Amino acid sequence: MKNKFIENFAKGVFLTSAIMSIIAILLMCVFIFAGGIPFIKEYGFKNFLLGTEWKPSDYPPSFGILPMILGSVYVTLGAIIIGVPIGLLTAIYLAKFSDKKIYRFLKPGINLMAGIPSIVYGFFALVVIVPFIRDMFGGTGMNIITASLLLGIMILPTVISMSEAAIRAVPNSYYEGSIALGATHEKAIFSVVVPAAKSGIISSIILAIGRAIGETMAVILVAGNQARMPAGLTKGVRTLTTNIVIEMAYAAEQHREALIATAAVLFIFILIINGVFLVVKRRANN
Amino acid sequence: MKKIFSFILITILAISIVGCSNSGDKGEAFDTDRTINVITREDGSGTRGAFTEIVGILEKGPDGEEKDRTYIEAVVQNSTDAVMTSVAGDEYSIGYISLGSLNDSVKAVKVDGVEATAENIQNGSYKIARPFNIAYKGELNLLAQDFINFILSEEGQKIVVDTGYVQVSNELTSYEKGEEMEGTLVVAGSTSVTPVMEQLAEAYKEIHPKVSIEIQSTGSSAGMQAAIEGTADIGMASRELKESELAELTAQVIAMDGIAVIVNKNNPIENLTLEQIKDIYIGEITEWNGVIE
Repeated sequence: MKNKFIENFAKGVFLTSAIMSIIAILLMCVFIFAGGIPFIKEYGFKNFLLGTEWKPSDYPPSFGILPMILGSVYVTLGAIIIGVPIGLLTAIYLAKFSDKKIYRFLKPGINLMAGIPSIVYGFFALVVIVPFIRDMFGGTGMNIITASLLLGIMILPTVISMSEAAIRAVPNSYYEGSIALGATHEKAIFSVVVPAAKSGIISSIILAIGRAIGETMAVILVAGNQARMPAGLTKGVRTLTTNIVIEMAYAAEQHREALIATAAVLFIFILIINGVFLVVKRRANN
Repeated sequence: MKKIFSFILITILAISIVGCSNSGDKGEAFDTDRTINVITREDGSGTRGAFTEIVGILEKGPDGEEKDRTYIEAVVQNSTDAVMTSVAGDEYSIGYISLGSLNDSVKAVKVDGVEATAENIQNGSYKIARPFNIAYKGELNLLAQDFINFILSEEGQKIVVDTGYVQVSNELTSYEKGEEMEGTLVVAGSTSVTPVMEQLAEAYKEIHPKVSIEIQSTGSSAGMQAAIEGTADIGMASRELKESELAELTAQVIAMDGIAVIVNKNNPIENLTLEQIKDIYIGEITEWNGVIE
């Protein structure tokens, strides 16, 4: 009798813990959509998503977030172009080429990268990358290239760890088989093992996209944050996340609602990215 | 052989990285042909609101339309510190911050030949300054009146100065504690005034422990509205009151805040006219040679 009670009690504890996270997510959905959707309806779905002017303190104000949507997309693309090749090659090196001594040194380093707070990355970029870009391209040094470089570095740990795990998960028989057929070490890895780990690698890239699009504190410091249509690689840009953080402090009434609506759009972006991630995962399992 | 090769490669890389980071050496003369890197604050910030209005960046239409014409290329930073760091790190940039936060890392320029000092703000010769107002409706109750007396006394104004703002006047009388006050006071309004008001309330509560002062940081317009509706005893505004508000409320300036226009220390410029600042901030002047001969 007593045992059964303890059993049930323990079950309850675990169930509550599990439900807690779901409740948190649901509450977040409710808060963001309840706050954002009425504004989007009132202002006009098209005006909001496709409007190219963001001038909240004008009278009458305009709240178009297309510049920020494009800003997020460009910066994320840049980060992928810079971060994925480096990350993928690092993962292949770690999994198949590095000797133990170097691995023991590299792996904790990469784990450490994942743990560094993003604001630290931001300050690093502000004092190192920004002056460097400024000397190379002129202007303020705060632009799409800088933000992409920074994000490219920040997504490295995600890409490396997940890709490495995916490559290691490929059965050794694949490698041995191709060696037996006369392939060299390099040929076996690049033509057999890595393609076999494709879905895991793609998952890592999708998660990296999620990380890049959601990154805020670091990007704020180096992106310039001009709320206008992206005008070139060496011009400043504002992303969805920075738009929210930058203006939330003093925003009131409609301006505030517009920012919550921005968060709703960002949330939908993240949902889509995670959806794609799940689909890729599921395909891989079948 | 392989190892030696990779060692050499790494050495070359390391040297080139170090070399690159040194190439941005400062010491070169200031090049006036370079673009002005304009730095501004985010929309909604009180500092930006006051700055755009005083300098004339905010264009007002006949039907009450307002258009913030801030240069579209201007970098947006969302805190005073970020503006200062950016200006300190970029020789060709210009920004503006609250005078109370100014330090040695940057240089404040004179505006129309007048230096940004507490004295010049007080006598009105430094143009880019805004008042911190409080406003109330009708007759004040005893407690509110006493609190305002405290704010305007020598003790209260010392707190204003300590918080980095400028006192209203130099002729101050010291606060005299009359009878013991009790009750609750609701103060609502500007987020910029709130920090000073919190300090003032703390100090007042030390003198009158039975008093409780509730401060709501809701923004200038909301604060004036609350004072009109009577939901707050005192409203706070970090700007001049609008005519519609003055029709209902009595306003009192409790402090002044100057906005300093700052440039990098290597920048030779010492003085800008209000007109030049406006032209820089709306993108009419885009190179330093437009303001430096």
